[in-house]
Amino acid sequence: MAPPAQTNRSPSPSQPSGKSEVTDLKSQLRQLAGSRLPGVDDSKRELFKKVISYMTIGIDVSSVFGEMVMCSATSDIVLKKMCYLYVGNYAKVNPDLALLTINFLQRDCKDEDPMIRGLALRSLSSLNVANLVEYLVGPLNAGLKDNNSYVRIVAVIGVLKLYHISVTTCIDADFPAVLKHLLLNDQDTQVVANCLLALQEIWNGEASTSGDAMKEREALLSKPFIYYLLNRIKEFSEWAQCLVLDLVVKYVPADSNEIFDIMNLLEDRLQHANGAVVLATAKVFLHLTLSMTDVHQQVYERIKAPLLTLVSSGSPEQSYAVLSHLHLLVMHAPYVFSADYKHFYCQYNEPSYVKKLKLEMLTAVANESSTYEIVTELCEYAANVDIPIARESIRAVGKIALQQYDVNAIVDRLLQFLEMEKDYVTAEALVLVKDLLRKYPQWSHDCIAVVGNISSQNVQEPKAKAALIWMLGEYSQDMSDAPYILESLTENWDEEHSAEVRLHLLTAVMKCFFKRPPETQKALGAALAAGLADFHQDVHDRALFYYRLLQHNVTVAERVVNPPKQAVSVFADTQSSEVKDRIFDEFNSLSVVYQKEHRGPFEFSDELGSLAIGTESDVPAHVVEANDKDLLLGTPDKEESRGAGTNGSAYTAPLYDTSLLSTATQVQPELPISNPAAAGLSPQSSLAIDDLLGLGLPAAPAPTLAPSPPPLKLNAGAACLFTASPTGHILIFVMDRSLSQELSVSPQGAAALTTPQTLPRHLQGHSIHCIASGGQAPNLKFFFFAQKAEESSIFLIECKINTSSAKTQITIKADDQSMSQAFSTLFQSALSRFGTS
Amino acid sequence: MLQCIFILSDSGEVMLEKQLIGHKVDRSICAWFWDQVISQGDSFKQQSVIASPTHYLFQIVREGITFLACTQLEMPPLMGIEFLCRVADVLSDYLEGLNEDVIKDNFVIVYELLDEMIDNGFPLTTEPNILREMIAPPNIVSKMLSVVTGNSSNMGVTLPGATASCVPWRTTDIKYANNEVYVDLVEEMDAIINRDGVLVKCEIYGEVQVNSHITGVPELTLSFANPSIMDDVSFHPCVRFRPWESHHILSFVPPDGLFKLMSYRVKKLKTTPIYVKPQITSDAGTCRINVMVGIRNDTGKMIDSITLQFQLPSCVLSADLTANHGAVTVFSNKMCNWSIDRIPKDRAPALSGTLLLETGLERLHVFPSFRVGFRIQGVALSGLQLDKLDLRVVPSRLYRGFRALTRSGLFEVRS
Repeated sequence: MAPPAQTNRSPSPSQPSGKSEVTDLKSQLRQLAGSRLPGVDDSKRELFKKVISYMTIGIDVSSVFGEMVMCSATSDIVLKKMCYLYVGNYAKVNPDLALLTINFLQRDCKDEDPMIRGLALRSLSSLNVANLVEYLVGPLNAGLKDNNSYVRIVAVIGVLKLYHISVTTCIDADFPAVLKHLLLNDQDTQVVANCLLALQEIWNGEASTSGDAMKEREALLSKPFIYYLLNRIKEFSEWAQCLVLDLVVKYVPADSNEIFDIMNLLEDRLQHANGAVVLATAKVFLHLTLSMTDVHQQVYERIKAPLLTLVSSGSPEQSYAVLSHLHLLVMHAPYVFSADYKHFYCQYNEPSYVKKLKLEMLTAVANESSTYEIVTELCEYAANVDIPIARESIRAVGKIALQQYDVNAIVDRLLQFLEMEKDYVTAEALVLVKDLLRKYPQWSHDCIAVVGNISSQNVQEPKAKAALIWMLGEYSQDMSDAPYILESLTENWDEEHSAEVRLHLLTAVMKCFFKRPPETQKALGAALAAGLADFHQDVHDRALFYYRLLQHNVTVAERVVNPPKQAVSVFADTQSSEVKDRIFDEFNSLSVVYQKEHRGPFEFSDELGSLAIGTESDVPAHVVEANDKDLLLGTPDKEESRGAGTNGSAYTAPLYDTSLLSTATQVQPELPISNPAAAGLSPQSSLAIDDLLGLGLPAAPAPTLAPSPPPLKLNAGAACLFTASPTGHILIFVMDRSLSQELSVSPQGAAALTTPQTLPRHLQGHSIHCIASGGQAPNLKFFFFAQKAEESSIFLIECKINTSSAKTQITIKADDQSMSQAFSTLFQSALSRFGTS
Repeated sequence: MLQCIFILSDSGEVMLEKQLIGHKVDRSICAWFWDQVISQGDSFKQQSVIASPTHYLFQIVREGITFLACTQLEMPPLMGIEFLCRVADVLSDYLEGLNEDVIKDNFVIVYELLDEMIDNGFPLTTEPNILREMIAPPNIVSKMLSVVTGNSSNMGVTLPGATASCVPWRTTDIKYANNEVYVDLVEEMDAIINRDGVLVKCEIYGEVQVNSHITGVPELTLSFANPSIMDDVSFHPCVRFRPWESHHILSFVPPDGLFKLMSYRVKKLKTTPIYVKPQITSDAGTCRINVMVGIRNDTGKMIDSITLQFQLPSCVLSADLTANHGAVTVFSNKMCNWSIDRIPKDRAPALSGTLLLETGLERLHVFPSFRVGFRIQGVALSGLQLDKLDLRVVPSRLYRGFRALTRSGLFEVRS
């Protein structure tokens, strides 16, 4: 029975053995084709099996298509099934030969056995050959009216397949109407479910072009229809229940009574053995009660137990998927889970990403009563074999400490970590102690005593080293040998590879100097000299800044470098609540499980594009990571080639508006495109910036436009385009689609441009922000950006204005191409008002 | 909506490919996937949803066989995962186990099953009882039948009646000469005992498994003596919700054969049946280890299959371990296994030995956790008790059987 073992191992279809065997098969099949001898079915079966096994392992057996079709005249259902499988696989590449199969498939569609009717219809509709759809309409029509539900189930899905092959054929044959009738009247719930599935897709696809389809789609969410489905929900298969629940999520009940009715009806679904049903129900509950705060909390309580059960009941894969959802809920409402913290204890043999989730949950649910136990548990993980987890658990202890429950006990634990003599434990603990001291300076005495005993030689990790140096600087008055440790660190300046550590060292030496000048003076001189000679821009700048500050006035310098500090009350959280909320909308979606934000459907080929349901695309802009050095140092070649430019055309530093400023301050040390750097650049730096923004590229042809572009609104407080990545690189969104146009400026506008800064100010009133500007009259150049309101769509505009001819050349780049034209209109109208208002 | 299902062998070979919609998914996705498996190791294999550059992938691994499904559209994650689990369950049921050879030998059956289980990427019939009627399993009985009757088809001649019946999990016209119904309580104990020997977490996850062979369409009711101890329950679709809600009675029409009727959790148990006391002391580069195992709480039933597993830290160079009872094995990856089986009457099993640490290390900083395994026949440790099992219409000959079993789940003792 088994397919020959050696063929299974054939690695590629091109292998000669594969080819000759296929030819062999071909001739054998040919011999059997016309034969009516007894036992012929058995030999056929063996041959078919071989063909399918070749197909399965990836050998191209499309060459035997004709023979397979010839052999397909048989009453043996397994032979038929194998033949259907084969035909379904190769019909697309052999559309001409596929025509040969139509005959026998159509005949089988009229077989008296409903199973054969169904199978034949399924194969016929899976051929996926556009030329053959005309042969599909008749059998589908018959199938939809078949008295056997199995055939109807297949036929309904067949209609959907037809729709994807040929929309017009499907619509012209009036199939949606037939499906709608079945949806409302069929006795078999699987037929109803399949109708629902098919109609959702079809009407979603049609809604953009047909008003009727839009209405039909809305009708699916009408009260009577939703109730019709809900009342029968227990009759549906578990998968169909998921489908129905997915639809109910979108339904908006009229009042709270309705909400309670639905929840009462669905409550037992939470006890279903299928996790997909449970999660779908939980999603319905969460969505229905979003506006009812009290009930929403009760919903959390209600769905908690079933989810916890699912975690312990399923296979590891299921458990992890459910755990990810629990994680989402815990992060959202930790207090609901405060008594269940033991569920989030890690087992040593769990994979580390599970442990990581659990650690985050443990951190979140800790409160006054559970802190002690949770911290005890976390401390056990610090001795874990899995080093990343050990680190995470120490960090978790620190986070709990910063939540200010029972700090006393935690500080003791942290200090114990410092004495564990393990590099990574010490490193993590040092970072935590630093954070802790920033929040609870009152603990400094205890901590400093322990920290003082740590030899700086044993601390190698930059973050930990920086933390240690920070403490040495901050508490140098309490640590007798602080100046000397700092001095020895300064002596090894060249061996310190991390700029972060060097920056901290500079500051720490400064602080120490203000507290203990005689002892530190030597170290300070050495540090400043080393800093000034440092090749790293930030270190150099900071050293220079300190140097000049000290030159200027030492008391002022102290006020700047070492002002009295207030304890930090809240640390900026790494994950903003906005992101958490957005992910929360995605409960029961894939993104929850792979733990990243929803990135929308993949880019499809034309064929699949129509399948996308409810697509909401995120920013498809390409993110280009440009090293800050490239940005700043990338210019010299061009400088030389162009020689000394006219100073007049130097680009002025960008006019940061408030939103830009706030971003800039947050990331200050790492943001290379800050004013001094930009200002210090020579004129031709425009080219570099030009290239980085992708604006120098030849403009693509103007895109075709949507029939009626919706009015475009811009986000007034648009966020900065430049974001500093953790590595100190700049991320720049480069849009590769652009739209170029020539406009004219009103004469008043041209006149107003004698002072170029008026234009950015004017456009800012229209929510268009200036990134950079430059040039000299009559040729001025501006770079603007704007962001669409409530969306992350971004527009970049390069605008060249010739004030003498009053002509403007604009190039617009947008990540959403369809909006370019709309934006262009908006920009024009904004520009035309310039100078008149 | 799933677009494609691949079944991969444990060496990454594509054994089977089932395209589900017109838009074909290229096999190269499997190559990408396998590269990730090789580069990221085991932890990658346990991730159930992966975002590849072109598709979202679902994967589950059973007996070394990877079931991989691809989609490009957002969909409920558990729909994909649960479905693959069903596929794996149904296949292992049909083929009586899962391995590379059995799938390759029976790929036609696998294709036939997938054809009925999913259409156009949406799960269709996953109920094993129904599938069995549509596609006969390739077992010996049906092979013999085909020899005797000369009918070599492995397919049912008629469509299963249940596709149209109101009890979709059960077929009509089932006839048995002897009617039997067996109810098993199977419990797993999850526990964590910390360094100080304190039981920090102890919970039981239990299942009620029913194996029924009864003529006709039987109406069963099952009740518990103490249903209130269950913290949370979930049911097979056959269980009616109302009787449970009002009287905590399970009322159902069972599928034919073995199935999981319900699952439950019991929280906050106070004690474990056995104790494990590890002691580890280290000094001057060597480490003494001593582990004692014994019965803490006599249930009156024999505890067997006791095992202890632990991973030695990487800083341990060599281990010399002996036990006064049972066999100790140290594997090359520093995993130790001590199989005790039953605890002898005369003495408490103990494991002792020395570990040699890496040069330069004085003391051990990382301590192993012990994974404990055991089985107890005849008792459900949660204390849950079945009260009675009734049939509305009792057939002439009926045999009812009850059993209970507790085994360890994630039972961890830290040192």
